[in-house]
Amino acid sequence: MSNDTSILETTNLTKHFGGVTALDRVNLTLKEGEILGLIGPNGAGKTTFINVVTGLDKPSSGMIAYRSRAITGAPAYRIARAGLARTFQVTKPFRHLSVLENVAVGAMFGAQGASRSTRAAFEKAEQVLVFLEMKEKTKWSAERLTIADLKRLELAKALAMDPQVLLLDEVMAGLHGSEVLEAMDLLRQIHASGVTLLVVEHVMKAIMGLSHRIVVLEFGQKIAEGTPAEIVENPKVIAAYLGNRYAKPKETV
Amino acid sequence: MTRPSAGDATRGEKIVYFIAIAGLLGAIAFPFTAPSGFWLRTFTFVFMAAILAQGWNFIGGYTGYASFGNVAFFGLGAYVTGILMTKAHFDFLPSMAAGGIFCAIFAGLIGLPLLRLKGHYFAVATLGVAVAVREIVSGWDSLTGGGIGLNLPINPDPNSFRQIYFFMLAALTLSILVTYLLARSKIGYAWIAIRENEYAARAVGINTTLYKTLAFALTGLFIGLAGGIYAYYNTTIAPDSLFDITAYTANPILIVIIGGGGTVLGPVIGAFVFQILSTYLSFQFPGLQFTFLGLAMILVIIFMPQGALEYLTGRRVFGLAALLQAPRENRA
Amino acid sequence: MNPVQFAQTLINGLMLGGTFALVGLGFSIVWGIMNLINIAHGEFIMLGAYTTYFLYTFFGIDPFLTIPLSMAALFALGYLIERGVLTWVIRAPLLVKFLITFGLSILLENLALQVFSGDYRSVTTAYSGIGLEIGGVKIASVRLAALLISILLVYLFHLFLTRTRIGNAIRATGMDLDAARLTGVKIAPTFALTYGLSAALAGAAGSLISMTFPITPSIGSGYTIYAFLICVLGGLGSVPGALVGGIVLALLQVFAGFFAPGFKDAIGFTVLVLVLIVRPEGLIGKPFYSGSEQ
Repeated sequence: MSNDTSILETTNLTKHFGGVTALDRVNLTLKEGEILGLIGPNGAGKTTFINVVTGLDKPSSGMIAYRSRAITGAPAYRIARAGLARTFQVTKPFRHLSVLENVAVGAMFGAQGASRSTRAAFEKAEQVLVFLEMKEKTKWSAERLTIADLKRLELAKALAMDPQVLLLDEVMAGLHGSEVLEAMDLLRQIHASGVTLLVVEHVMKAIMGLSHRIVVLEFGQKIAEGTPAEIVENPKVIAAYLGNRYAKPKETV
Repeated sequence: MTRPSAGDATRGEKIVYFIAIAGLLGAIAFPFTAPSGFWLRTFTFVFMAAILAQGWNFIGGYTGYASFGNVAFFGLGAYVTGILMTKAHFDFLPSMAAGGIFCAIFAGLIGLPLLRLKGHYFAVATLGVAVAVREIVSGWDSLTGGGIGLNLPINPDPNSFRQIYFFMLAALTLSILVTYLLARSKIGYAWIAIRENEYAARAVGINTTLYKTLAFALTGLFIGLAGGIYAYYNTTIAPDSLFDITAYTANPILIVIIGGGGTVLGPVIGAFVFQILSTYLSFQFPGLQFTFLGLAMILVIIFMPQGALEYLTGRRVFGLAALLQAPRENRA
Repeated sequence: MNPVQFAQTLINGLMLGGTFALVGLGFSIVWGIMNLINIAHGEFIMLGAYTTYFLYTFFGIDPFLTIPLSMAALFALGYLIERGVLTWVIRAPLLVKFLITFGLSILLENLALQVFSGDYRSVTTAYSGIGLEIGGVKIASVRLAALLISILLVYLFHLFLTRTRIGNAIRATGMDLDAARLTGVKIAPTFALTYGLSAALAGAAGSLISMTFPITPSIGSGYTIYAFLICVLGGLGSVPGALVGGIVLALLQVFAGFFAPGFKDAIGFTVLVLVLIVRPEGLIGKPFYSGSEQ
């Protein structure tokens, strides 16, 4: 599935907010075609990592390379157009636009946006919404959507940008049982269409089932990296999540 | 401000556009019905108010940046026109065009640093620019005539008021057309995305600096043009009357609020309501019109903060219930 | 500028700075606590100035003694306006709140114009001309007293905010509306109180201003703009910030007035815009806008 070419690579990526170090010399490589899980306790720096990689926040130091070219400090819109799309954990819809328009905006300004007419952008948006089974809500104003639908809208906007790398920030939070399975299936389909995925998720069943590799952050530092099987056995990870008194890993964390 | 998807206008919208075209034809025919000077002037000022509101609509209504410095563009447009006509002896039309272009460039240049500011900070920084521009204009005696101002050449046309009427109408029509065309283009969607969530707009690939600056430049262009036409109408321009913040910044914003921001025709509807009403009030209660204006502003904002157009077209509730909805939601 | 002129300008700036601190303080707390830019703040100052003017002219009350009366009157007015008008828009978007105070400002100014007429008025007492002179530098007694009263009021307000139960409730509301509500703070009366206190401070500033500057119903908008400048220069939401901002603005103005009379506001605003761009957190204080959000 994945080859060994890196599509996204960070070197000693560091971000300070005032006196707080949100990211501390993080070295992370995303290989083309893989699904990489990024996990860690709350406040570990996962969302900051995505914000910095996508140019929405400027890194304090360190390097980011996309397809071996430095994008450190580049404006967010350039990075988005280069093929990196992300979703927001705290959803950020364009509230007074319809669902269709929200997604069309992604299609207008994403990687293929420049060569696409407004009409073509709306057609692309329709396709994405059909794929995500939101067809019947296209005309709704985004403010009417439930949290679950807003999460889905985040995904739709990002997909409409024709990304090569998709950075997903907790798109499954709040989903239950069979919904998680459906979402996993959806992500597998997106991956099968050739998109490299970086998935931040608290739903362990999903992250363990989806990811080829997992990176664990704690207090802004990378504390572990490996296959899902290696990660669940890793004592540092167990300590980070459950405290040191748990000796044996459980299936769900 | 629920907007329908591009391409399929709602029935309400279709009716509005039909009325707009009929209105334009009526406005063209109106001066030939030999109206009194009073009505000709009243409508000239309705158009001017609508241009100022439409100008604010680009940056405030669509892009969500509440500029309080638009009075600077009005004054500068008037002064550039006046200076070119008196000092360089240009004709009116090229002077007016130069005034508009000057204001567009000026807006773009001050926009680059100022549009990095958000919310109140942008509002007051632009207000600050307006105050500074007024002081510089008042102080630069050799060019602007200082506090006394300039006297423009008198319009030689025997039907000068009619001519001014058509200049204003033309500028207004152009501003509506530009708004209409841009609103359904990528540019319009970029503006709305910035207004709704600038952070998310950057994340979907929108060059926010570019589109914000473009919106502000259009604001400058149209308000500058209106200033130039007004200068030719009034023939005397002086800093205190031209840089009147209430008349040329606050009123246009109120007009947009009345009519509905981020819509193509809201500012025009608002301008008609506002200008006719304030003309009536100043006749009925001379001296008290601003007191009423303040009161009206407070009431309009409490009861219909999203503008009249939404109340007429897009709401699910009507009548008293609609009026009471906003204060109920916004209460402490 | 010789040393005496420099010293004179500096002293004038410092004395004016006290009044400016008072101008900025009320504006700053309403902004910080209620997240409201109160464009009508200058009109409260104007009304405070007229209160002093009328009490002095018609009842012969010493202008300094009118300060508490002016504060009480403006507190009542501010409290009523908040309860009657502002409370209905407090959760509305920024622009809506901004505009409603703009409407209030226009209304108050024009009502004042109807009632007081547009004539220039001033408060001139028997001791208005008295002052000290040290090494060629003149210190007008009224201005010196205004400075001392300003500092006293700013300090008392600081104590009120930090040492009293109500003051703490106000500050808690400013930090986190929902958390304050959960701990039993009643939001609506707290906001009304905050707004009333802000108006009272504006009233005191107006009383002091009436003793040194001519007043008309239209002086308000200028002071609103100054209040904003003071908050931005000093940094929002801190009492010391208002003091620093007031003094910085006053010094800027008097020195600009010396070197480039007629451009003192242009210079003030150029500095404002530069500060906003270069150091958005103000000279002291926390950042008041951020490039990112969660």
